[in-house]
Amino acid sequence: MNTVLIIDDSEINLTLIRALVLKLGDCDPVVFDNPLKAIEWCRNNEPDMVIVDYMMPDMDGLQFISAFRALRGRNEIPVIMVTANDQKDVRYEALMGGANDFLNKPIDRAEFSARTRNLLSLRSAQRYLADRAKHLEAMVAERTGEIREREKELIFRISRAAEFRDPETGAHIQRMAYYSQIIARNLGMDEKQQRLILEAAPMHDVGKIGIPDYILLKPGKLLHEEFEIMKGHASLGYELLKDSNSEIISAGAEIAKTHHEKYDGSGYPQQLSGKAIPIFGRIVAVADVFDALTSERPYKKAWALEDACMFLEDGRGKHFDPMCVEAFLAGWDEVIKIRQRFQDEIAPQI
Amino acid sequence: MAAYSLDKALILDRLGDDEEIFTMMVDMYLQDVENNCTSLSSLLAAGDQPSLQREAHTIKGLLATFADDEGTAMAAALEMRVKMGDLSDLAPAIAALQARLREVSVVLQAAIAG
Repeated sequence: MNTVLIIDDSEINLTLIRALVLKLGDCDPVVFDNPLKAIEWCRNNEPDMVIVDYMMPDMDGLQFISAFRALRGRNEIPVIMVTANDQKDVRYEALMGGANDFLNKPIDRAEFSARTRNLLSLRSAQRYLADRAKHLEAMVAERTGEIREREKELIFRISRAAEFRDPETGAHIQRMAYYSQIIARNLGMDEKQQRLILEAAPMHDVGKIGIPDYILLKPGKLLHEEFEIMKGHASLGYELLKDSNSEIISAGAEIAKTHHEKYDGSGYPQQLSGKAIPIFGRIVAVADVFDALTSERPYKKAWALEDACMFLEDGRGKHFDPMCVEAFLAGWDEVIKIRQRFQDEIAPQI
Repeated sequence: MAAYSLDKALILDRLGDDEEIFTMMVDMYLQDVENNCTSLSSLLAAGDQPSLQREAHTIKGLLATFADDEGTAMAAALEMRVKMGDLSDLAPAIAALQARLREVSVVLQAAIAG
């Protein structure tokens, strides 16, 4: 159903045009004898076509068209102005002002039908294109969402593959990812960045795939040479993930390479310090260490939460970015919920 | 000036042979004609140039709808004079237009009665 707005101060013309619009079929006429009231109506309603008289009190047809076109989203709606045939100057001005066509007085039904149908067809084509663009946009969003979900699943599985070779568990990946998100949120990062770190953080240790079992699974303390090899997992992870077109994998590459850097420059692999360490690396450093400390492993007991918090406090400005520690502790209630939600389970052996 | 004669065929042709719309238009004309005549007089008396110009314009369209070429020309001439700011000695022109409106009214009334 097409909504046709008719504005004419003459009641007889209003009635005539309304009757002719009804004869077109599939049209719902909305009539106003006052152009100012019509403009008010247009602020909250979108007609499919406008038929407006030229000579009216308070606001003439030209002023009406100008006010109508100035409203948001009303610049393509067809407008027909009703004028006397001899008003050529008015017609030129109306065309410049945004009128699409004219009707002569006295109104002739054949001409009226032809012109209004043409413009309603134009409007219908506009709506079809707009609907199609919206439909395509929705389809692209849906497909992009599916691809992103697949990407997330693959990332999680790759991360689990690395964890299978490690005493750490799938629950660790999830906890440290959510802790990272809490820190990002409390640092004031936007939702997109929060989601990005949540999805990318699980890849932090993916480079462990390249560390020999005798080092990775060694129950005791690593020798100096063994620890040097172990430290290589940060660069290995980066090499594995770098140069991806995926925003998530690129963020994962950065996290893999920088999550063992320390704020005072004593970390590895690049001995970066302070703000030179990318923010995602500084965030994940806090989240990963906290969860590692508070989790039980075959070679160690889980630390008490207070002790782990004290470790973070002590590490402010040395191991950790003070702002990240603060942001983590500010989300303490959420941290506890995450710990309860993702409990450790026995990792499958391969 | 020639008396108004109703060319119903021409009007109906413009209205797509729609008797219903024709009858509706005539009814509205008959209802409004005295208001139109009164407006002309009162606007002239008030010296309200913009409103008088608009009223003449409206009447021009009204008479054109009923295929009254001479009445339309009278209203157009009045509209032009007012537009040019010539409000002196308009009373005869207005009286003539009022008479024409009433003449058309009588013919239309007879047409629907018959």
